[in-house]
Amino acid sequence: MYIKEVCAISPQLTYGTEFESGHFELHDKGILYAIEPSYLDFIPASLLRRMGKAVRMGIGAGLPLVKKYPGIEGIIIGTANGGLEDCIRFLNQIVDYKEGVLTPTSFVQSTPNAVAGQLALMGEKTGYNSTHTNGSLAFDNAMLDAQLVLETAVKPMELLIGAVEEISDYNYNIDTLNSHYKSESITNEELIRSTTAGSLCGEGATMCVVANTADHAIAEVVDQFQVCFPGKEELTGLINNFLDKNGMSPKDIDLLLFGNSGDGRTDHWYNDLQQELFPDKQITTFKQFSGDYRTAGAFGCYVAVKLLQGNHRIYGFDHLRRPRTVLVYNQFGGERHGFILLRGNQASIA
Amino acid sequence: MRKVFITGIGSISSLGLTVEQQLKSLRDARSGIGKATHFQSVYTAQLPFAEINASDDELKKLTVCADPGVTRTTLIALKAFQEAVADGKLSQQQLSDPRTAFISSSTVGGMCYTDSLYADANNKGETSEFYASYEGSNHTLQIVKKYELKGYTDTINTACSSSANAILLGTRLIQSGRADRAIVGGADCLAKFTVNGFNSLRILNETPCRPFDEHREGLTLGEGAAYLVLEAENLVGDKKRYAEVKGFGNANDAFHPSATSDDARGPLRAMRDALQSAELSPFDIDYINAHGTGTVNNDETESFAFITIFGKQVPPFSSTKSYTGHTLAAAGAVEAIISVLSICHGEIYPNLNFEQPISGRGLIPVTKLQQNKQIKHVMSNSFGFGGNGTSLIFSKCT
Repeated sequence: MYIKEVCAISPQLTYGTEFESGHFELHDKGILYAIEPSYLDFIPASLLRRMGKAVRMGIGAGLPLVKKYPGIEGIIIGTANGGLEDCIRFLNQIVDYKEGVLTPTSFVQSTPNAVAGQLALMGEKTGYNSTHTNGSLAFDNAMLDAQLVLETAVKPMELLIGAVEEISDYNYNIDTLNSHYKSESITNEELIRSTTAGSLCGEGATMCVVANTADHAIAEVVDQFQVCFPGKEELTGLINNFLDKNGMSPKDIDLLLFGNSGDGRTDHWYNDLQQELFPDKQITTFKQFSGDYRTAGAFGCYVAVKLLQGNHRIYGFDHLRRPRTVLVYNQFGGERHGFILLRGNQASIA
Repeated sequence: MRKVFITGIGSISSLGLTVEQQLKSLRDARSGIGKATHFQSVYTAQLPFAEINASDDELKKLTVCADPGVTRTTLIALKAFQEAVADGKLSQQQLSDPRTAFISSSTVGGMCYTDSLYADANNKGETSEFYASYEGSNHTLQIVKKYELKGYTDTINTACSSSANAILLGTRLIQSGRADRAIVGGADCLAKFTVNGFNSLRILNETPCRPFDEHREGLTLGEGAAYLVLEAENLVGDKKRYAEVKGFGNANDAFHPSATSDDARGPLRAMRDALQSAELSPFDIDYINAHGTGTVNNDETESFAFITIFGKQVPPFSSTKSYTGHTLAAAGAVEAIISVLSICHGEIYPNLNFEQPISGRGLIPVTKLQQNKQIKHVMSNSFGFGGNGTSLIFSKCT
């Protein structure tokens, strides 16, 4: 499966060219809110007013791609929580008004499949459409779903895949009960080096056009692997098997792009795997840009694609040699672990 | 491509706590719709529901689950999961095999206890025991942990077509060789969140739903969970094979966030794609287990789709939501199992509460139990909010 284009709305200036040119957006309020573009160029104001942030960001990152690639047949989205703000807003009305007469807007907007549904509606795409909500693996699931559709297609085909997650006060409260966030105040620039408990909350929408032909591809998705609740040694073995299955070994990986979140309780998963299997490999991280959220791995893939394209101007990446292969690893809370193996477009490198 | 067989089934709904109990209710034309007693909401006084006849505590005993923070969604999922894997005779080794996938689905997921979520999300009062269980995929994670599942796992939420898509995805994983076996389905329990949501859309019927009837006024919400064990043909051996997953189609209506189009473009594409992938003609279909929610909109659109595809020869069809209510994410799997029972027993379970055909459509569903029928191919439809629609075809094993 090949990637033709990527687009992200994130806590960095990824919607324009600033992020790729080396700009780093510093966040010092403990929460990394996405920097949203002006949507009015392509979302009618009447529609935009009703959209929750998750739907808005998903449409904002996805619709321009759907319009640009008329060959896109279907849409597959991964989101752990969908439009949470609308969801809890509706829930609060239920409780505050003791199940009185309510308006359905928040209810309809809150369903996680509203993003893929709206993209299909606005882009007039009646083909394959699905939404995966499997926590931190939701984007990985969307990617494999796309791969299954594309490899059985009898003709050249394109799909839009992506991930969306929004910060709402409510999920921030719930995740705080789960001790997901740091109690001390640090910036995102300091995040990865932190060793205390918790991380910084982030959000965003990442969208990719994927296809079953290599024409104009900017990267290739070689394969992916996921496992839940592995043991440490078990994980090492599984990753070896995964690479072996793809005719590779650890030495064939040029760059590890890891989801370290500065959480001293779980970052050992990344550090130990590197020491065990990839001791002399280039390694870098992406959550200093995006903050931590379930489907941040999609943003990891966005960064990986930029690196595979030869971008070394991204902030803090000037020392990296251009990779031909990148392994993106993301886990959340040590429960679900996802690996996505990407390769650069060989033709463009040559 | 390898064939994919159904080798185990497990289901819980208002019709019964096991597949066997549900089969009896289906044959006796005994609907599970009535007055809710476990579910707490102001609407239980005004509206009928299709409630599972077991309290959370009873479900904990039935599933031997005493873990804290386990929601009703997880409990009913566990119950159906346990029945399915026991029926499919899966060993612990097979469950933990990296080539065994688990694909579940839910819409309300871990948010089924509206009041505790309200307190935790708004920082009101003491933290509830469910604070770590609210995610839509929480029930999946709990089952993965409990049964030490090591293969591909997924949770899907495409509203009312969710578990139909779980069946579709499990089938494709096996066909592609990425998995040998998949446990697929979904779970949704009654929750204030959903009831108030559907009520705000004014699509809940004040009397038990009457799918495909001229005077239908909306759907009846139900709760349920169902899982199917799918296995690659080369692994089945001499195991019991209930049916083959023969075809599938997934399409989007691209019309409206919470209504289907007049020209049924999404449902039509899903049904046509299902027929094409099954390499069957419309005339091969012996029975359709319709989506048939009982809303004015759905049944009108679905009838139009039937007439468009099948012309004057619409096969026998019924909506078993007249028994189970609409179990949302679970509906696709609950109805897949009813479809499989139709194939295995040569029976068609009736569409209850039907009196008068929809004017201008004239379609009459099966209204009495039909037995001793040769049922080779069944189409099962699931259409949902967001324009999501999936049609599946199950076939008798040859």
